[in-house]
Amino acid sequence: MKTFRLVFSRIRSSTLFIVSAVALAGQPSPATPSLCDADITRRYLERRETIITSAIATLDAADTAKGSYLDVAAALQRGDRRAAALARLALLNAPTPNGNMFWMYPMAAVVTAGREGLDAASWARIQELWKTYWPSRGDTENHWAIYYASLYVVAQAFAGAGPEQWFNGQSSTENMAESRAYLEHWMRVTTTVGQGEYDSPGYIGEYVVPLSLLAGWAEDAAFRQKACMMLDYIFYDYAIEQLNGQYAGAHSRVYPRQVLQPAQVAASSFGWLLFGLGERQPRGQALLLTLSGYTPPPILERIARAAARPYVNRELKRTRWRMRHAGPDAITVGDRRTVPVYKYSYVDRDFVLGSSQGGLLQPIQQQTWNLRWHVDQPLDASNTFFAVQPYSSPYEGTMFFGADWDTVTELIARSKADYDSPDKLASGSPHEQVFQHGPALIGLYDLPPDTRFPHIITLFSRDLRQVTEDASGWIFAQGGPVYIAYRPLAAGTWKPNDWTGHLAGGAGGFISAGFKEWGVGHRCYVSGAQHNGYVVQVAPVRDFTSYAKFQDAVRALPLQFSTSPMAAVTFTALDGSVLHARYGATPTVNTKPVDYAAWPLFASPSGWAERGSQQLELRHGAERYRLDFEHNVITHAIAQP
Amino acid sequence: MNLRLLASLFTFVLPAGASTPAQFYAAVAMTKAQKNSSTPTDSGLYRREADGTWVHFGPRILGIGSLAAHPADSAVLLIPSADGVVRSADGGHTWRKTTGWNVLDVRSIAFDPLNPTQVYAATQWGPIRSADAGATWQPAQSGLAQLYTQTIVADRTQSGRALLGTEDGIYVTTDAARSWTRVASSPPTTVLRLAQSAVDPRLWLAGTQHRGAWLSHDGGRSWTPTDLGSAAANLYAASLNPHDANQLAVGGWGAGVRVSTDRGATWQDRSAGLPVKHVFVLAFDPDTQGRLWASTFEEGTFYSDDLGRTWRDGGLYGAYGSDFIFVPTVLR
Repeated sequence: MKTFRLVFSRIRSSTLFIVSAVALAGQPSPATPSLCDADITRRYLERRETIITSAIATLDAADTAKGSYLDVAAALQRGDRRAAALARLALLNAPTPNGNMFWMYPMAAVVTAGREGLDAASWARIQELWKTYWPSRGDTENHWAIYYASLYVVAQAFAGAGPEQWFNGQSSTENMAESRAYLEHWMRVTTTVGQGEYDSPGYIGEYVVPLSLLAGWAEDAAFRQKACMMLDYIFYDYAIEQLNGQYAGAHSRVYPRQVLQPAQVAASSFGWLLFGLGERQPRGQALLLTLSGYTPPPILERIARAAARPYVNRELKRTRWRMRHAGPDAITVGDRRTVPVYKYSYVDRDFVLGSSQGGLLQPIQQQTWNLRWHVDQPLDASNTFFAVQPYSSPYEGTMFFGADWDTVTELIARSKADYDSPDKLASGSPHEQVFQHGPALIGLYDLPPDTRFPHIITLFSRDLRQVTEDASGWIFAQGGPVYIAYRPLAAGTWKPNDWTGHLAGGAGGFISAGFKEWGVGHRCYVSGAQHNGYVVQVAPVRDFTSYAKFQDAVRALPLQFSTSPMAAVTFTALDGSVLHARYGATPTVNTKPVDYAAWPLFASPSGWAERGSQQLELRHGAERYRLDFEHNVITHAIAQP
Repeated sequence: MNLRLLASLFTFVLPAGASTPAQFYAAVAMTKAQKNSSTPTDSGLYRREADGTWVHFGPRILGIGSLAAHPADSAVLLIPSADGVVRSADGGHTWRKTTGWNVLDVRSIAFDPLNPTQVYAATQWGPIRSADAGATWQPAQSGLAQLYTQTIVADRTQSGRALLGTEDGIYVTTDAARSWTRVASSPPTTVLRLAQSAVDPRLWLAGTQHRGAWLSHDGGRSWTPTDLGSAAANLYAASLNPHDANQLAVGGWGAGVRVSTDRGATWQDRSAGLPVKHVFVLAFDPDTQGRLWASTFEEGTFYSDDLGRTWRDGGLYGAYGSDFIFVPTVLR
């Protein structure tokens, strides 16, 4: 075995190893491009160049109303359209800032990437703003990562600045120390216990931003290295659950539009940039990544494109920190309390069915499970199938937020208007329990009579074909290359997606604008039984000679269920596994209880991470790429035949 | 006993011979106009000027819960905020965050009146303490069953003693927050607001979540429910008149303003005239005897000079109040 250790190398774009992917993983399919290191890197650099060039092109000296801070940073970094960039920057910096950490990171990009191109007046204004505007740290994990990474690199740029030159009265040295302490803590918790704001197709961008700032511009080589490794980590986390660039599986946070058009998220922009998958979308976070100089290790594209499918991917995450009502399942990390999130995804080349265990895992925007199927052009597709128990309460709000019992729901709904809506499509629920094995899934519910919205919703998107209510009780459908069988335990009724009109009214805030384009034509199956649930069995179309054969096969599967006193299901899946779930009890597969206690941080044919290890090993064929966060070392090894 | 120390913030007691009125501040978030946003349109401290207008004071930071001034030097100010504790040593001209990354969501803060180098703060992730007047901070969680806290009051009669409102009721320290002990007869719920009488320091009042108002007549050592009329309410506000130990007030969500004039034996609803019965802050004015201030949820601040029988507009429309603070001018 040949082994390479990378210590404190800034970016792994150097040609320490030129790998023949064919030798590693067999012959790629005809549709798969060459997966050797050189070709992967060349294609990535070409896409990177496209993004940077188009960003700079938005700047126009004759029209200074165009262009973002990040466009300015790109132009200044390249020394291209400098006059236009400086003029635009002066305009952007004229008013009193707002936006807190979302002001900080584009400014930090200008200060770092664009530093060589700044003139004295711009630099003076920038320093003045960091002295006079107090950006708040926010209250979510991504807020803090952005806040502290931005503060770190700007403090680094303002080397030697005293307390009087900073908004918070701390010197540059103090700001850097505090920032690094938090960021190291976050990395340690993420690589031992799991990420809290996990696997969000939108908010992944809010983690790429701070890590890009550090990977690109942290002057401390060790810290820069660790940030690069965290980018590798985050991108593996995405690559292993993506489908043609779409982030699949259970999500901590999704917005209403992203629920229905799953490709219209930041993650898809990374799919295109990193791996050439999906369709290109202009996103600022991807632009910042390109400016950082980060180059993904080629093994990531090999995993994203050529991992042998189907496979099962398991991941351990955690809930957002719980300040109140932590519950009996809570674990303590330092002095913070959280609950483990057990993710399970079945990743096929044509679809991904992914889930978490249910419960209150994240406030506001949780998607407990979903099915996503392959489409060639995903941008406007609604290739999604899922169920949700819409839940809102001050109990949940005060579990995660420092607001008062009587106002927390209303205040949440002022920015996430769907939070308190009966027809919302993303929600955690304390009354939900989900269990998945392979391409089969069981959802169970125990709804108290006084819960705010006593029903469950299953979304049948407009992209489904051949939706059939069968006399057997199964509802069959086809989503592109996947057949779906859905068996409700209690009857429901069909309603349009905007069945209360709330979502159609713009619920979800600014990110949900344009409901008519993305929200019309879907149907919801709404069931209001107190003890309720469903069974889902999916299968690739290629496994059956016809839709009818799939239906015949599902009808023949043994299924027993009851809804009294609690929902319970025993189901023999298409692969012959006997699945048993009873609300409130540990589910079993072939009578063996699911071992949640042994759930690793990552487990798939392409990656492995033990709980608490601070390590992640990526695998492709004979290739091994190990990220060791404890020792800040990357080890790359290729087994010799 | 040092009379200046007795004039500390939150005591509402003016020392003999004092002639300078206290500065009146409100800690608020402007949430009324907050649309499609998770952040208020403005937030922080507002100081009431002599002409009745409110002027923003100090840094604009999210989640400012209160303000505390050093009892012997009112130029030393501490702000509890979502970002941590922010300190000024020059009367608010400059500010410095004195907590690290791991301190957040600070809701309440109190100098020890008899030893003001000791400062205690309640955060929603556990209390913290300072032994150098807020310049540096340490965790102070020993003995707590639950870490959520949002109200803390330092006992003005005993140095090192403070009462803390937690998710698990009331806890007491007698060693300057190095350890905490649960008060046996504490309300069995989250305690939202604690207050100590300036006239009779044995008299304490608590507002709680879902359990209404509780009263202690023995310095916080034993507690009993009071005011059956709000027994199940969420009471966010509690105040005791610094000029008359008989007069108490509590306020909350749906409960409006409730007043007692007999040390808690009986209570009356005094919400008539307020635009809404959702009250988050109450304070008796230390400079105007008998005046009671009330902060409603987003519908403005009001004051009454007849114990709530009538109310007058006090400004700050749209505000979601966290605290009223009267800061006597005390120069070292």
